[in-house]
Amino acid sequence: MAKKAGHYTVVGTRQPRLDGALKASGRAEFTDDVVLPGMLRGKIVRSPIPSGKILNIDTSKAERLPGVRAVITYKDTNGLMSGSDKFLLCENMVHFFGDEVAAVAAVDEDTALEAAELIAVDYEPLPPLLSMEEAMAAQAPALHDFMTDNIADEVTMSFGDPDQAFAESDYIREDEFSVQPTHSAFSEHHIVLADFSLPDRLTVWTPIQSSAIIKSSMASNLGLTDSSVRIVNLHTGGAFCGRGGDKPHHYIAALLSRKAGRPVKIMCTADEEFLVYRGGGKYKFKLRTGVKKDGTLMVMDADLVHDCGAYMETQFILLRFVGSNMQALYKMNASRYLGKLIYTNNPPYFFHHGAGLVAMRFAIDSQLNLIAGELGIDPVDFRFKNAVEKGYITPAKFTYASCGLKECITKAARKAGWKKKYGKLPAYRGIGIGCGMLRSGGKGMYDHDNSSVFIKLEEAGKAALFTGLPDMGQGSHTTMAIIAAETLGIRIEDIKVVAGDTDVTPYDVGAISQRGTFTTGNATINAALDAKRQLAKTAAEKFGVKPAVIIFQDRKVYPKGSPEKAVSFEDIVYATLHSDEGRYVMGRGFYNPPSGQSDMSKYEANTALAYSFGAQIAEVEVDPETGMVKLLRMTVAHDVGRAINVLGVEGQLDGQVFSGMGQTLFEECVMEGGQVLNPSLLDYKLPRPFEVPEIERIIVETSDPYGPFGAKEVGQGPIQCTSQAIANAVSNAIGVPIKELPITPERVLKAIREKAG
Amino acid sequence: MRLPRFEYVRPQALEEALSVLAQSGSRAKILAGGTDLLVNMKQRTVCPEVLVSIKTLSELLMVSSDAQGFTAIGSGANLTDLAANAGIAEKFPAFIQAVRAIASKHIRNMACIGGNVCLDTRCWYYNQSKLWRDARERCHRTGGSVCHAIKGAARCHAINSSDTAPVLVALDAKISVMKKGENRLIPARQFYCDDGIRNTILEPSAIVTAIHLPDGNGAGRSAFIKLSMRRGIDFALCSIAARANINGAGVTDVRLVLGSIASMPIVLEKAAQVIMEAGLTQSAIEKAGEVARTELGIITNLFTSAGYKRQLAGVLVKQALNELKGKTAKRGGAKA
Ligand SMILES: Cc1cc2nc3c(=O)[nH]c(=O)nc-3n(C[C@H](O)[C@H](O)[C@H](O)COP(=O)(O)OP(=O)(O)OC[C@H]3O[C@@H](n4cnc5c(N)ncnc54)[C@H](O)[C@@H]3O)c2cc1C
Ligand code: SF4
Repeated sequence: MAKKAGHYTVVGTRQPRLDGALKASGRAEFTDDVVLPGMLRGKIVRSPIPSGKILNIDTSKAERLPGVRAVITYKDTNGLMSGSDKFLLCENMVHFFGDEVAAVAAVDEDTALEAAELIAVDYEPLPPLLSMEEAMAAQAPALHDFMTDNIADEVTMSFGDPDQAFAESDYIREDEFSVQPTHSAFSEHHIVLADFSLPDRLTVWTPIQSSAIIKSSMASNLGLTDSSVRIVNLHTGGAFCGRGGDKPHHYIAALLSRKAGRPVKIMCTADEEFLVYRGGGKYKFKLRTGVKKDGTLMVMDADLVHDCGAYMETQFILLRFVGSNMQALYKMNASRYLGKLIYTNNPPYFFHHGAGLVAMRFAIDSQLNLIAGELGIDPVDFRFKNAVEKGYITPAKFTYASCGLKECITKAARKAGWKKKYGKLPAYRGIGIGCGMLRSGGKGMYDHDNSSVFIKLEEAGKAALFTGLPDMGQGSHTTMAIIAAETLGIRIEDIKVVAGDTDVTPYDVGAISQRGTFTTGNATINAALDAKRQLAKTAAEKFGVKPAVIIFQDRKVYPKGSPEKAVSFEDIVYATLHSDEGRYVMGRGFYNPPSGQSDMSKYEANTALAYSFGAQIAEVEVDPETGMVKLLRMTVAHDVGRAINVLGVEGQLDGQVFSGMGQTLFEECVMEGGQVLNPSLLDYKLPRPFEVPEIERIIVETSDPYGPFGAKEVGQGPIQCTSQAIANAVSNAIGVPIKELPITPERVLKAIREKAG
Repeated sequence: MRLPRFEYVRPQALEEALSVLAQSGSRAKILAGGTDLLVNMKQRTVCPEVLVSIKTLSELLMVSSDAQGFTAIGSGANLTDLAANAGIAEKFPAFIQAVRAIASKHIRNMACIGGNVCLDTRCWYYNQSKLWRDARERCHRTGGSVCHAIKGAARCHAINSSDTAPVLVALDAKISVMKKGENRLIPARQFYCDDGIRNTILEPSAIVTAIHLPDGNGAGRSAFIKLSMRRGIDFALCSIAARANINGAGVTDVRLVLGSIASMPIVLEKAAQVIMEAGLTQSAIEKAGEVARTELGIITNLFTSAGYKRQLAGVLVKQALNELKGKTAKRGGAKA
């Protein structure tokens, strides 16, 4: 793949998404579109209190209701756990408002709802622990009986010699930052259709980021072999890190189906969406940073406490991810990190937009601005001075084979007119910069990071690409089609993507940790090369040359140096398929990045091969009377390695700015008494397209040596820069540091007032 | 979410609708566009046994000018149609601005003006699913004796968030209300009550048939401004409707009405007095903004604190007065 940009025919073009027309015309099939014969509807009975004992569950009335086919409680679950600390259905304790207690399946949704309401549960409420402070207080009771306190997990990491580095610093600053809980607000609700009517065969239709994770988890938890479980993942309406794997509703549907002997569909209602998945929990960072007078960054020491809610889910990963990524953006000599996950009786939280990194980057980059201010250094220069570069190895041993951070900073600053604007804008207008980085795939979730792809060739010179990588809207299927078309020397119209059925599609860890383009992209190249080898044999026979000299280009096949002899790709495919032996062409490709394995004692390893980087500059206007902030303009520079699909990259940049703006200025799960006070899309203030600012996009291509055609990621990478860019701009506009997200009008007004005294 | 069971009645004529309502009493609810009522039913805050659909009654679809100098708009008028009605927009710009600020295009496609005028009040405890409400003690409105939104309140202070309500009050509109054997024309200001539970004078068997807007006198100016977190699909954090007659430097008939801040539109008497005495001078406008904040009474916090709402009220008063004066003010208005 040594070609330079511009030498490609499909890579680097602007391709509309393969699923675009389907979705726009309402033809795309989602899980709720699947209706099976005899299918039942399930409903989950949830705890109406944040903490308490279950005294009694009476299901008799529900069972007698005509139309009810199955009722399950803890007794039917065989002690099944959902995660490390949660019974699938509560046994004798409930730990959050919404905790799953029982479930029913009935012939239709109304009957299921009625039956769910007929299940009488007696509770003895207990005083809930609603904040991290309450939960960490010395006298606080342990929320879970297998624990002695409420610290669900604790991690310390130390790189280099932090004490020495602080001692050598000329200036040390300490600040606290907090980020309020958020929600992902998927357009497609949580939904599952499970058919477990035969004891040794479970089929699950559900939107998911990783069919692999849910398949193996469900198989092992339900005592099935891996091959007895089939996961069908149709189109997926959004994920934003929140649909990683199996969740309680998946198991509940399976158990109901097994008991009723019929397929069962459970779709969470709009209000349940704020119970089953909560997005990111509350973060509190205490950050201490040391620098030299000239602005050289020396050391950072961070304490993070994170509210994981009633159950830990996968937040222990987040805890480690934050610590090992802390020193990955700016060079420094040393760092120290203490992260704690705190159990509370709030709903269990989950990943949202890059597993805690958004919150961490907001804290770090906001503090760096304060430091720059005190040292009298321009924030752009400050970042440029400390930015990581190609070849740099971070204290946690991340190794940057490509890195465009400095280029992103410089280009964004130039395009945004930073020099003309910074410090020179009228009152209540502000400009701010934020930077970020994210790895492209890598190990950690498993000890491998496998992707595999099949490419089957069909008579008309067309190819079907089989992948287990889901497309949740990020456009990865289009990206794979481009990579396959480029490698096979055909066009994107010649490729169809078959995805999302584990009985048919090959193994893939899935669309997590920004691994799609990088990892599955490499597997796609390998599959296409394998298919080409098979075709080259036919072509070589035809031209009387060695297979190695056969060229595939623009739907033509010819021996190297003799393009006049070219025959069509279609003819070669036909000739192969109809050869005397009936050679069937199926390219097979796989890829497992030869990256390191994280050492759990030191947390040092280059767990990924590629990392993306970005810089964003926000311009805002603040209304000093209402506190409302208008994001006027965002300049976005992102090092994607190579833009496989320019249109797709632009879409991701825009989408991330939009989501990032939402998280920064609008979105907050307002919590009280363990309940979200605004659990609807009306009251949880997601922005709308009207709020989208003017976006200037700069695509930086550093051609990563390991990436397919040099590509890295443009998944959740860009959003790693957004919050701090906006926060720094607001801070610049009002002259007050911003230390809490989201920056609501009320908080802005309060800040302005406090400054005025 | 699912609707509870109910009986659906679609009368062919207004008279028949009035009869059905007279018979069913409080078991029935009037269904216009349903964009508010059906959501409330799904959340089980109201569970009527009978829904009487009035959306297609031809008697409620008329728009006409009468001899008394009023323009009558039938309560069944669809909001998208109204928003596009150039004639009404020219005569009553503030009213049409309010209509255009309601919810979103999709919702306006379904909704009627009568439904907006009669919109139920809202609060963060009440407008939730049943499961959600069940986690808390019952309040004045749900059969208990506390208020969650304002701790210690002796009655319900749920908020009237109708965008057109303050405009109707500001413009001195009249609301025509019919029940079997009775037809009344009620000034908008008397139509609304300062009670979160029963926030209009309507009896269950009565229908709002039309709203009557007084045609202007040439010197009248009006304004409507809505502040919300986002453009569209958002209730106001606070809104204002303002009106004044301006003859040279003289300013008479000043009316300032706040919406979405209490159980009924709040008429700011003192702030208006400031302007009538001093005219639309910059200092009077500043003063009116300050004065307004003192005459607000109890404010319910709906995701923002009462103090913040008080601040917005003052800001809106100033913005509206500036707009009346002819300056272009910043609009938080929603066009979606
Ligand atoms: C997401 C969302 C956003 C919204 N945003 C806004 C907003 O920004 N501003 C706003 O003002 N509203 C908003 N609404 C509320 C509502 O959509 C509008 O107020 C709409 O105009 C209601 O009209 P409707 O015809 O749908 O009323 P319906 O829902 O049919 O009725 C509302 C109430 O009025 C009663 N009623 C209706 N017609 C009559 C009549 N002729 N006589 C007597 N009683 C009657 C009904 O019984 C019911 O109690 C929003 C709603 C949603 C779901
Ligand atoms: S304002 Fe108070 S009394 Fe009224 S519905 Fe809300 S909580 Fe209940």
